[in-house]
Amino acid sequence: MITTPNFINKVVTGITTWARVNSPWIIHFNSGSCNGCDIEILATLTPYYDIERFGIKLKGSPRHADILVCTGPVTRQARERLLRVYEQMPEPKFVVAVGSCGISGGTFAGCYNVVGHIDEVLPVDAYIPGCPPRPEAIIDGVVKLLNHLKEGTRPQPIRPEIGDHA
Amino acid sequence: METLLAITSIMFFPAGLSLIFSGMLYEWADRKLVARFQNRVGPRWFQPLADTIKLLAKEEIQPLGVNQALFFGLPVVALSGALTAALYVPIFGIQPAYSFPGDLIVTLYLLSLLTMCMGLAGWNSASRFSIVGATRTLTQLFAYEAPFLLALLGPAMAADSWQIGKIVAYTESHWMIVLQPVGFVIALIGLMGKLELPPFDAPEAETEIVAGALTEYSGRGLALFHIGRSVEMVIGVSLVTAFYLGGLGNPLIFLAKSLGLLLVMAFLQSVLVRLRIDQTVGMWWRAGAILALLQILALIVLK
Repeated sequence: MITTPNFINKVVTGITTWARVNSPWIIHFNSGSCNGCDIEILATLTPYYDIERFGIKLKGSPRHADILVCTGPVTRQARERLLRVYEQMPEPKFVVAVGSCGISGGTFAGCYNVVGHIDEVLPVDAYIPGCPPRPEAIIDGVVKLLNHLKEGTRPQPIRPEIGDHA
Repeated sequence: METLLAITSIMFFPAGLSLIFSGMLYEWADRKLVARFQNRVGPRWFQPLADTIKLLAKEEIQPLGVNQALFFGLPVVALSGALTAALYVPIFGIQPAYSFPGDLIVTLYLLSLLTMCMGLAGWNSASRFSIVGATRTLTQLFAYEAPFLLALLGPAMAADSWQIGKIVAYTESHWMIVLQPVGFVIALIGLMGKLELPPFDAPEAETEIVAGALTEYSGRGLALFHIGRSVEMVIGVSLVTAFYLGGLGNPLIFLAKSLGLLLVMAFLQSVLVRLRIDQTVGMWWRAGAILALLQILALIVLK
């Protein structure tokens, strides 16, 4: 009898995790990218790749979204907006950084108007490398994030040491 | 016994849980059909269920400057309005649970309650996008509501009754789609306007106003509005099927007919593009309302 609440808790957690993994709604934000990655993200959303198969939907409002897909280095202008979009999202929320610039600042690293990579502003859960990454790579990255959610852990990405660029 | 029956009809069948689940199935069927029309695979069958559970398990953020009672109460009122309407409608081709003379009007007003709540919710949300969305939602309500009502009054006048049960008994022997084709088209398109499906999705246009009236809703409120919308879809499709496509008859045939109606709606959704809000209003009042009125005039003259 003592185990009953635990059992119920386990079942409820299982159901919510199942729902979360099967219905990730994304919001797309560009914090200073060259638009290359954005075009690839838009290509990913087209019927050709059909990500509605996984239950992924693009949402306009941060309040409806679960995953923030952001591209590009964070410019000084975009920093406040990026943080605001992130804070408007309800918990639990996840961040996916798409493209080389999102991972390390890329070709914009060290520019006078750039804060740095997305990791310096937000806790990123998954990185998708490429300049720009192909739609298949983006789908793969999101599915890897979902697999981690299934196990109930936030992914712990091993990211290479990035040199000082400030 | 009476009370038990009432509780069953409210909680499980025909309203309540079974209606919510069939709403999810209808939503899935609609999304899957649109996907197939766009030559893609589309969502899996449990997609709306997963969406709903996920939203129910999410954090609900209350924005600054909203009226708390309204913010949390409106989704509940919207859903309960839609569920109450189901008591008077022959869902899945089964006789309605309750019936009284004039229940057609009550049902239509209960169905509008969802839209009104959505408009109020958008107005209450204190965000510029949701206020624009709310204005558009209510403007569209005033556009399609009168022609839709007139289109459903056609069969009612032919059957000489405003009671859904009696109208349905009459339409069983008279196929209204043949006798009143104009009314059928207006009812079908009016239903799409009511559900804010693609040609009439200006109120929630993602590319212009974020997510319309529900922009600030997250978690539970959003889930309740979503369920209300799917329930309204079941009720609307059942109502139009019962009125225009040969009454109730066999539940299985009724289901096939309503799925056929859904197929036509999905087809229209995939081939038509979004109308601007002024185009929507102009179309309804210049074409829809006048055609519906002409048909009712013809009914009065020919009767």
